[in-house]
Amino acid sequence: MPLKIVSIKFLGMQRTVTKTDSIDMPITEKARVTDVLEYVRHRYPELPLDEETVLITVNQEQAYLDTMLKPNDTVSFLPSIGGG
Amino acid sequence: MQILRQIKYEPAKVVGGYTDRILRVDLSTQEIAIQALPPDFKSKYIGGRGYALKLIWDGTTRGTRYDSPDNILVMASGPLGNEPGFPGTGKFIVGTISPLTDTFIDSNVGGHFAPLLKLAGFDALAVSGISKQDVVILVDGDAGTISIAAASSYGKEIDDGSLSFGQRLLKDVNGGEYSDSVAAVTVGKGARNARFGIVNSLFYDRRRDRIRCKQAGRGGTGTVMRFKGLRAIVARSSLAKANGNNAVDLEGVRQAGAQLKEVVSKADPKQLHLSAWGTTVLSEYMDKFHLFPINNYQYGQSPESSKLFANVFLDRYFSKKIPDGCYYGCNLACAKGAENVELTRGPRAGQKVSIDGPEYETVGAVCCMGIFDPHFVMEYNWYCDEYSLDTISTGVTIAFFMECFQRGFLTADDISYELKFGNMEAADRLLHEIASGEGFGKVAGQGVARGKKWVAQKCAARQGTSEQAVMAELNKFGMEVKGLEFSMYISKESLAQQGGYGFALKGPQHDEAWLIFIDQVHKELPTFEQKASALKWFPLIRTWFNATGLCKLPWIDVRNPEAASTAEPAKNLPTLAYYVKYLNATTGSSKNLQDVLDDSERLYILQKLINLRQGKGTRSSDQIPLRAMGPAYLNEYEFRAEYYDEWLKKQLGDGSIPVSLEERHKLLLEKRMQAYQKLCDIVYEEKGFTSEGIPKRETVSKFGLMDQQAKQLLDKFGV
Repeated sequence: MPLKIVSIKFLGMQRTVTKTDSIDMPITEKARVTDVLEYVRHRYPELPLDEETVLITVNQEQAYLDTMLKPNDTVSFLPSIGGG
Repeated sequence: MQILRQIKYEPAKVVGGYTDRILRVDLSTQEIAIQALPPDFKSKYIGGRGYALKLIWDGTTRGTRYDSPDNILVMASGPLGNEPGFPGTGKFIVGTISPLTDTFIDSNVGGHFAPLLKLAGFDALAVSGISKQDVVILVDGDAGTISIAAASSYGKEIDDGSLSFGQRLLKDVNGGEYSDSVAAVTVGKGARNARFGIVNSLFYDRRRDRIRCKQAGRGGTGTVMRFKGLRAIVARSSLAKANGNNAVDLEGVRQAGAQLKEVVSKADPKQLHLSAWGTTVLSEYMDKFHLFPINNYQYGQSPESSKLFANVFLDRYFSKKIPDGCYYGCNLACAKGAENVELTRGPRAGQKVSIDGPEYETVGAVCCMGIFDPHFVMEYNWYCDEYSLDTISTGVTIAFFMECFQRGFLTADDISYELKFGNMEAADRLLHEIASGEGFGKVAGQGVARGKKWVAQKCAARQGTSEQAVMAELNKFGMEVKGLEFSMYISKESLAQQGGYGFALKGPQHDEAWLIFIDQVHKELPTFEQKASALKWFPLIRTWFNATGLCKLPWIDVRNPEAASTAEPAKNLPTLAYYVKYLNATTGSSKNLQDVLDDSERLYILQKLINLRQGKGTRSSDQIPLRAMGPAYLNEYEFRAEYYDEWLKKQLGDGSIPVSLEERHKLLLEKRMQAYQKLCDIVYEEKGFTSEGIPKRETVSKFGLMDQQAKQLLDKFGV
């Protein structure tokens, strides 16, 4: 049975911590965004991911902690951008 | 320097953020006057943009153009500029009648100039007339003199440059040394030869021990200054910078400043981290969401974009570990810079220079030309600053002509060389030609709106078609509205941002509204009514920043964690509360946020009236190019065909879309155009305008703006 994974993309300052553009995370059938957040926090404890201000996207659409994930989804944690 | 005219004066003290004085200089007559303002002036027009609007409304006419002697060049901070205890208080606006739009333009800029001008006794400086020779205005609060002096000549290379000239001048006026009590605004030769000349704001940075610069970039304010024969204005004051506004409630200012600084210092490193990366950090996010304006806004994303991401500039160029605020006390400190960068192109090739920037907009302008070379960005940044050219308008204009060439509207014979996307040599050549007004630069220096007419004539004559037919094509991808080139964001997939650009009174600059993320990504504005509400609220609050002498970034680009629990997090209301507190503590007022918005709306309506008078105030002036609404050509549709097909399916409801690509493309554009017109209707209603985009009489009266001129204007339009 093929491994089910989601891709987690790191942008901007996050890469200075992660030293990589992206990582894969194996998921179960009932995986949610919150599981990804915990996974990233565990792997990179120094990465600042403030739930109050971070914008979560799945496949470039806004998502929430309880958003269900599908295999091959791409998850990102973005800062707020207001446009200068 | 030879003094041509000088007056003595006693600098007015700053009280509650104001000196209640405007310095007026007429360069035709060399008259220097100090205008004391009546008490209700500041309560009605606030400062900054508001002062400039009122001076332009009263002092110019429908016939005034950028190079008319009666055009007025205004530089004004505001009551909240000039306070190191609060972040981002070095801002001022440069306002005038624009060479690009023929109506009011203002551009905000940081640095030390406005704080020093205020300490020297003036809330604003208004320059009219045209000098017969190149001059410098010196406002010396220490000596108590205001002078008009003949501009010194330091040799051609220095005289041509805004930075070079300013660096030399700032030493010249201060016994051969730089000082943080002296600052200047300057223009270079590009401002003489192009309509998009900028004003550089130069100041001494002690930490870097060099002169740094920020730019009033949009709309050709530098061109106006240069046409007035004004090479520079110098402001000097040695008064203490702390409590520079002599605040009514100093403790209140301290508290508000401390609160904002704490949010910035804690939140920015977890968010965009502008204090480390500067605004170049945006490039990566814009690319991710298809907003990077590649090849004249055709494509929002490219595999090559990563060459222009912030880490490249941080690793290769930016000086590190030096706080980079453009005024004292700003802990957001986003004004990045580099030293000892070797120029490899242009007339100064081989020289090592210090570069302030790049900002995101400059990076965007370079990708707009299809170029992904970071060193080219650095050189382009420096030459544009040195020549006094707006990096945005220069890049968008060159990109427009590149597309004209590649789509066959122009030939190499028209230009004298092959101007293709990604051709660094051609782009560099054209940059220098624009600055010196030579070759094809004479055409390109006129900007996109005038460039379209030139291309239409050339192309129609060659192809035997009508100019109107060619112009209809050029209007699809000539990225300007009201005569101003777009700033560096693709608005195709955000209807709210299409309005943010189209309704912007000065033209498509994002400082009125940047709604892309809350519309396109957050999807917080699903209805037309919600978009219209945002298109009223954001321009008003952003106007207030431009009227008070404040930088918007600590508010708009650092999200206060407390905003998450509010109904509209994007407004960042907890942080705005600090600003209102700062206002009241400085001036002694007791305003709330709605009062602030009402004050701004008065200025907004006044600016709209000026647009109406100048022929840029009706619905037709708010129309945007097809490319701002969607994929103007098939190649753009094909680039994101899956996305556009899905969008169409959702719109059609039944999931069936036409089989042919051409039909799908046509249908999508029809839907986009319909949506924009519907948006116009609802936004005008929200703003108190007629369906033609003209302010209703009750709207004008509500804000006390119904003077004789306004009455006649509304009569003329049958309102």
